[in-house]
Amino acid sequence: MTRKILVVEDDAATAAYLAKGLAEAGYGVETCGNGRDGLFLASEGVFDLIVADRMLPGLDGLAMLAAIRAAGISAPALILSALGTVDDRIDGLRAGADDYLCKPFAFGELSARVEALMRRADRPAGDGKQTSLVVGDLEIDLLARTVARQGRQVALGAREYNILEYLARHAGQVVTRTMMLEKIWNYHFDPGSNVVDVHIGRLRRKLEDGFDSPILHTVRGAGYRLAPAA
Amino acid sequence: MRVSFTARLALLAITLALISSLASVFLIWNGIHNDAIAALRRDTVEQAQDLVSVYRSGGFPALSEAIDQARDPEDDTLILAVLDRHGRRVMGVGPRFAAIQPLASTPFSIAIPGHSAPWTGREAGFAIHRVGRYWLMTGRLLDDWEQEQRTIERVVGLSILLAIVTGIAAGLVVTRFVGRRLNRIADVVEAVGEGDFANRVETVAGGQDAFDRLAVRLNAMLDRIERLVGELRAVTDSLAHDLRSPLARLRARAEQASLAEDDAAREAALSDLLAETDTMMRMLTTLLEIGRSAAMGRDRFVAVEPGAIMAELAELYAPAIEEARMTLAVDLAPGLAPMALHRELLSQALANLIDNALRHAAAGGALTLAVSRSAGAGRFTVADRGLGIEPADREEAVRRFGRLDRARSLPGAGLGLSLVDAVARLHGGRLELADNAPGLSATIAIPG
Repeated sequence: MTRKILVVEDDAATAAYLAKGLAEAGYGVETCGNGRDGLFLASEGVFDLIVADRMLPGLDGLAMLAAIRAAGISAPALILSALGTVDDRIDGLRAGADDYLCKPFAFGELSARVEALMRRADRPAGDGKQTSLVVGDLEIDLLARTVARQGRQVALGAREYNILEYLARHAGQVVTRTMMLEKIWNYHFDPGSNVVDVHIGRLRRKLEDGFDSPILHTVRGAGYRLAPAA
Repeated sequence: MRVSFTARLALLAITLALISSLASVFLIWNGIHNDAIAALRRDTVEQAQDLVSVYRSGGFPALSEAIDQARDPEDDTLILAVLDRHGRRVMGVGPRFAAIQPLASTPFSIAIPGHSAPWTGREAGFAIHRVGRYWLMTGRLLDDWEQEQRTIERVVGLSILLAIVTGIAAGLVVTRFVGRRLNRIADVVEAVGEGDFANRVETVAGGQDAFDRLAVRLNAMLDRIERLVGELRAVTDSLAHDLRSPLARLRARAEQASLAEDDAAREAALSDLLAETDTMMRMLTTLLEIGRSAAMGRDRFVAVEPGAIMAELAELYAPAIEEARMTLAVDLAPGLAPMALHRELLSQALANLIDNALRHAAAGGALTLAVSRSAGAGRFTVADRGLGIEPADREEAVRRFGRLDRARSLPGAGLGLSLVDAVARLHGGRLELADNAPGLSATIAIPG
């Protein structure tokens, strides 16, 4: 079944760019240009995800989102905004958005976040009881916090383990640097240097040195993906 | 109805002048009135007593003689009459019939004495005493007093006229004076409004009166506006100027991509183009952040342990610092009390300092991250062993878009330290740049 995404964006060029990109990624996309129509469409309850601009004519994005939530629609929402300071991001997240992305953005960043939100919505409610994650020949024991590849233990530092667990929970998806900064370190600013890449580099050496196939892949222009070698 | 300021001032002055002159006229009138009555009473009582004692010693013939002596043909206001019991005059001068009924012994009284001319309607002060079967009436009409009253009425009229004239004059003078001083201030405001920021209001009374205080305040405000406009101009100028270089780089990359011969070269140019765009976006976000933090309230502050902020950053940066062949030393004073801090912005500021150290002091030995407390302030220090910044250059390094000569060849927009400075000021603290001998020691000192 095709996933359906509602895009509420008043700028026609951005809306077209989003619709085209998301359609190419295999989603069914519907767009509208203002908050009232967005609220009306979302109330039908047929969408799996809502992507909304923060500043919309009629009803602004956050108010629309509040109204949608009040109507009992729990589809995840991603807010897009030109307001990019740290406080704007935190405000947006506090106002009920599941994710917040600043314009302009790389499409790779958006699609990674869309995919992560879809995956999270799919996850069964009893997920908390999961005791291990398996990605190809990699196995993570969530209780003992240990990692083994091809049956051999891989010793990781506490932070390296956190990163790997996050990647494994999004196995097969692209995870961007900013997503990791937000979710693992809880920073909403851009450090401007390659700090995350260096962490990933170390983790990759521990996961891949001495093994014959890569498992932590770099996706150019977007981020990283944990997946068995194709 | 709107009345002009001048008219209102004139009215006020007229009223005040009228009140003061009428009050004094009334006091004078009252005083003279009382004096005149007192004098008349004294004369009347005295004369009556004299005549009564003449009668007692010599009877009617002596009284008649005394009355004849006392009367003066020229004086038609005098009353010296002997009346029978019906009030008819039997001797002397005065009304033919006294209008006072019934006759009784009166030491002094004021009333109309008779109904025949010339007594009709004129008041007199008189005394009545019994002399044998008759009554002796002595007194005088109040004509003197009435004359004075006329005079006083004229004076009142004059003073009203005078009050109106002086009121109008005062109104005109005061409006002219106030108007001139206010107009001078208005002229300056108008000139400044038209763009001449150098204009200032002159003070006249050495800053003593209300107009001068207004002028001094206004001048201070104009000073501040002039400074702000200057700063704004400088920022927009430098913004326009400093955005040129990243835009030029963007354009160069785009041109390279469009001229690229093969796909690989185009791909490389395009990815450079994206990287340049990101740099520029970051620059704009930082600029916004700097502007925002200058005007932000403290409602975003949360109680955070100062050491924890530095420890988290150290953890994030440790691999990158090692990669840059520097050794990381973390020195956190134990047991520091939580402080009210903006965790994200302070972290970003410290991250900027660490980034600077990574960029400008690479392979320069130890990088120290320290949190301590002294002189009532939490101190967050990032110290490197690089080239440092000369004391003379420190101000330029903190300025928005300020880039030191030797940093121009490195990537960056000259906003890092200025954001750090803005964040320090948001926390009520300051950024201190010091010599680490060798290297740079940058400290955000936050009181509290």
